[in-house]
Amino acid sequence: MDYRDRWELKEYLIEQRLESRVTLFHVGALMLVLGYGLAFWNLQVARGEEYAHLAENNRLREVPLLPIRGVLHDRRGEIVASTRPSLRLLLRREGTGDPDGQLRRLETVLPVSYDSLVERLALAAKRPVFEPAVLKEDLALEELAPIEAHREWFPAVEFEQTARRTYPAGDAAAHVLGYVGEVSEGELEDSPPGALLYSGDIVGKSGLERFYDDELRGVRGAKYVTVNNLGRQLGEGRPGTAPHNGSDLRLTLDLSLQRKLVEALGDEMGAGVFMDARTGEILALASTPTFDPNTFAGRITPEAWTQISKDPRRPMHDRAIASYYAPGSTFKVVMAIAGLETGTVNPSTVVNCTGSVNMYGRSFLCWKKGGHGAVALRQALIHSCNVYFYTLGRGMGIEPIHEYGSRFHLGGLTGIDLPGEASGVLPSDEWKRKVHGERWYPGETISVSIGQGLLAVTPIQMATMIAAVATGKLPDPHVAQGRGDAPVDLRISPGTLQIVRSALEEVVTGGTGRNVALEHVRVAGKTGTAQVYKHSAGIDADKLPKDERDHAWFVGYAPAEAPEIAFAVVVEHGGHGGTSAAPIARQVLEVYFADKVPREGGSRELQADAGRIGELPDVGTASAR
Amino acid sequence: MLARRPLGSLDLPMVLAIAALVGLGMLAIASATVDQPGREGLWQRQLMWLVVGAALGTVVFLVDYHFWAEFSLVLHGGVVLLLLVVLFLGTEVGGNRSWLVLGPVRLQPSELAKWTTCLVLASYLTNRVRGSMGLRQMIAMGMLVGAPVVLIALQPDLGSALIFVPIYLAALLLGGLRWRVITSLCVAGLLLAPVAWMQLEDYQRERILTVFDETRDPSGVGYQVRQSKIAIGSGELTGKGLFHGTQSRLNFLPAQHTDFVLAVLAEELGFMGAVAVLGLFYYMIFRAIVAGRSSQDRLGTYICLLVAAWITGQMAINVGMVLGLLPTIGVPLPFISYGGSALVAAACGVALILNVRGRRFVNA
Repeated sequence: MDYRDRWELKEYLIEQRLESRVTLFHVGALMLVLGYGLAFWNLQVARGEEYAHLAENNRLREVPLLPIRGVLHDRRGEIVASTRPSLRLLLRREGTGDPDGQLRRLETVLPVSYDSLVERLALAAKRPVFEPAVLKEDLALEELAPIEAHREWFPAVEFEQTARRTYPAGDAAAHVLGYVGEVSEGELEDSPPGALLYSGDIVGKSGLERFYDDELRGVRGAKYVTVNNLGRQLGEGRPGTAPHNGSDLRLTLDLSLQRKLVEALGDEMGAGVFMDARTGEILALASTPTFDPNTFAGRITPEAWTQISKDPRRPMHDRAIASYYAPGSTFKVVMAIAGLETGTVNPSTVVNCTGSVNMYGRSFLCWKKGGHGAVALRQALIHSCNVYFYTLGRGMGIEPIHEYGSRFHLGGLTGIDLPGEASGVLPSDEWKRKVHGERWYPGETISVSIGQGLLAVTPIQMATMIAAVATGKLPDPHVAQGRGDAPVDLRISPGTLQIVRSALEEVVTGGTGRNVALEHVRVAGKTGTAQVYKHSAGIDADKLPKDERDHAWFVGYAPAEAPEIAFAVVVEHGGHGGTSAAPIARQVLEVYFADKVPREGGSRELQADAGRIGELPDVGTASAR
Repeated sequence: MLARRPLGSLDLPMVLAIAALVGLGMLAIASATVDQPGREGLWQRQLMWLVVGAALGTVVFLVDYHFWAEFSLVLHGGVVLLLLVVLFLGTEVGGNRSWLVLGPVRLQPSELAKWTTCLVLASYLTNRVRGSMGLRQMIAMGMLVGAPVVLIALQPDLGSALIFVPIYLAALLLGGLRWRVITSLCVAGLLLAPVAWMQLEDYQRERILTVFDETRDPSGVGYQVRQSKIAIGSGELTGKGLFHGTQSRLNFLPAQHTDFVLAVLAEELGFMGAVAVLGLFYYMIFRAIVAGRSSQDRLGTYICLLVAAWITGQMAINVGMVLGLLPTIGVPLPFISYGGSALVAAACGVALILNVRGRRFVNA
């Protein structure tokens, strides 16, 4: 091969190689394009619907339409909790030339400082800029006027209507009604799957607001708006659903009684429960010191929250259902019933009270230093003789006490429709083995016999107990109308109840409860003094410092001959029940009967007559036939 | 030097394909910017750049490609000089110092560099590579490509720098690099990958990891990729209609008139639109290969194939990113994304192919 041939061969080979490499490039490019085509097919055709859905979710934002919370009425129809419109002061944050100047001018027309306005504006800094800053909640109308009058000073200021819970009765029914607030993280997590609870919802935090929250809250609706990537609303999206407002609730509460009860409890720490003895309808239920639930309706300031939650007198705590105290002598009512029913004593069994008695190697005192002398059950109850009941307790033992106490729901939940009810303690051998890990000693029964020792009950339990004594049936206490069960028969003989009732009436006419007596109405009741310190027995209450004095009880019902209203009042460190708790009960009863007594004789009879007249024509036609 | 009747042998189908791509691009730009204050007129600016590109392309077409090749080293050197000037006197936009501002005109020399690189490599391959390629030639070509790449990477515009890699690889392939060397280069590349990984910035690693798990960073890079995929996927078969893409009009899509413009087209024109774009690109590559094969000499083949590698590589990186198959790298889609310099450079590149095609007969 000569030079030229070799050169040509080489050229030919280079040509060949280039040819094949171009083909390789071609194949590569073709595969790339086909591969990408497949990737587009996968995204747009195979998974197109899924992505279309995602794009729709991007585009549409659900804007909640909030329901209006149900209104609470007292038994006469007076509104005790409702939702009112409230104005919010907003500052638009985009396209605002001079927000600072506007804040300075706001300071001159509103009772808020420039610094606090700047603070509110800074709070909004992390939110998208098209969301205005909230400068002030719940603007009063007279605050709105100067801003409206000088619109040109406040080009970026806007108003927004919001809803705000309001409690017209103020602090009078705080514990029963409770209050509302924004749902917490914990509540959201704990809510059952079907609860329809969303972040930002206003929910009941205590009282009835909490117990009936599901009914009162209503159900959110929603509308769908088109938004851009920053969440700015650009227009309507697809149609949504209308909100479903919460249902109203009619309460059994009588606001005038409720107001009187809070007023009568005054500055004392204590509680009172007044209920319809026949139905269990709660007419008044209060705990003092109280608070104003309106404070919680908007955003509560941290200082105000600290003040109210750190108060040693615990105003937020509902003493009527969640505090338990030794019942003191009021428990003798249960003791007497248990004694008679078990046959441990009969009405004529006599015990000699010498002012003290020695049992199980210990001396137990009667409150009366000289003793009551020879007393039978009736006298023992009227004069609250301790020695009689010590003797009865020793004879009977703890188990019958537990058995009869349980029938009245003492030491157990009454099932009232309020959250946070406490059960207290009604001791028994079984209970003590479970909780304390040791057996019941008979000596412990002696203290329990006069309502002391390990016994602890709540005011609602005592009110329910005394209502049951008055009617013979245990009512189901409730605050919302129509939500209680029918009273349950106690299975206690009428004779036993009769003996106890007549004694309770005499407690008021001539015994320890004279301070509750009313002019026109016969009241029955029992005083009680729960020892706070052991040494207080037999010492005059007035001589002790206030926080060492006994808790004072008064439980009862009226009218004695046809019981309508039953009650329990406890005053912490009030001393004797007859002197501090009984007058409180009397004030409330006065209001109840001032309303009722004149009608008792007149209007009710008239109504009954009207009913009879209405039936007459029917009777007539029947006889004519 | 000038062809006697170059217009008579103009590859008209190729010109029409490019015109269709640019037209789709302008529709997408108009749609993507219609709600963006201050950007409404961008498609008109793109039209103006198209006129500039067509004018310069005509010049490139009319002057024999042998002339361009002869002066390629001078042109390339000039562009490298411009890149140096940009590094010191350039204007910074979005963190990259890659713009040269001359009165009302803003120029990106990195786009010009792609064009001169193709030319200078083609002429090197023609003149210096005989038989199979040796290490010396590889290094020499590496330096020719490396000069602009390093300067562009310093701007730092890593996306633009990356486009030179497919051009260089194509040059190695066409220059006849032995398969043994190609294989060992691939193996070495794989072995060096972990080392390269360590050299990357955190945000770059994040972008690569996002390819495998788009939920990694829903508000950052992953968010962009995810929104791009939602835009494309929700276009389904026939699209939401021009100007009716919710992802782009409501701003969920990032950089919707530049790097992610294909997602706008895929959302509004659907799978049909995406296939049309891919098809047009393939047709362009196909015509470039035809032009290369029918060239009167090897220089013409090299020029056509290197320009095709440039456009294909850039398209592959951009589409891969928009589909979420590749990491997010700021690379525009040739002919379609908004950007004057890129459009002019690509037009001049295509003009070179037309140039070769128009002069396929030695005596024409």
